Amino acid sequence: RSFASQTDGEARVTRVLREKFPRASAIKVVDISGGCGAMYEIHIESEEFREKRTVQQHQMVNQALSEEIKSMHGLRIFTSTPKP
Amino acid sequence: MNGVVRVAWRLGTAAVRGRAERPLSQEATGGAEGSGTEGGGGGSGSREAVERLVRAHPVVVFMKGSPAQPLCGFSNAVVQILRLHGVEDYRAHDVLQDPDLRQGIKNYSNWPTIPQVYLNGEFVGGCDILLQMHQNGDLVEELKKLGIRSALLDAEKDQDKK
Repeated sequence: RSFASQTDGEARVTRVLREKFPRASAIKVVDISGGCGAMYEIHIESEEFREKRTVQQHQMVNQALSEEIKSMHGLRIFTSTPKP
Repeated sequence: MNGVVRVAWRLGTAAVRGRAERPLSQEATGGAEGSGTEGGGGGSGSREAVERLVRAHPVVVFMKGSPAQPLCGFSNAVVQILRLHGVEDYRAHDVLQDPDLRQGIKNYSNWPTIPQVYLNGEFVGGCDILLQMHQNGDLVEELKKLGIRSALLDAEKDQDKK
């Protein structure tokens, strides 16, 4: 799918992530519930994750999306740091 | 990705979509089932009760369904990954059987989703993290720290022999 066909939910989640992770070098949000907004897959690469354990990195994403998560049935998170 | 786990993903999304799952918001507020946010006084979702469960065994999993019959693709993936490493002796708790525990475990770990994997009483993560640990070799190391020898080490040895 091209960027132009992003769902409203994907756009909203992306926007929140951009605000909460200003140093993120890459953010990708995909609705994997067929457009229903029930489940998302989130990929985010940011300096802010450096030196943190994966579970801490995921917690940061959970906190950032705490409002949005309330209306989801599930989410998948993939965090990474940019190549130095 | 290992073929077994890849199948689990396909089952996962279909299985989750097909069920009448509650959105995570109802779970966050506790709803009418009695919130697990009151720490004291017992109850299966209280902090003390959860603490007892996570410390009861080196490997503790909170999941949907049971290892013999997982009821969610992500819970199934956790079971499959543990099985690949030869870990069959662990404590598994079916949160679908106990709404207080379902909410309590999320409060305890401050983590909104199930499954949740605890190694030596410490929250490690959900199935995405366990999968990552499996793929990058961290899981073998963490199991070794618990005195558990991963079956994959023996599998590698056999391959080296050939």
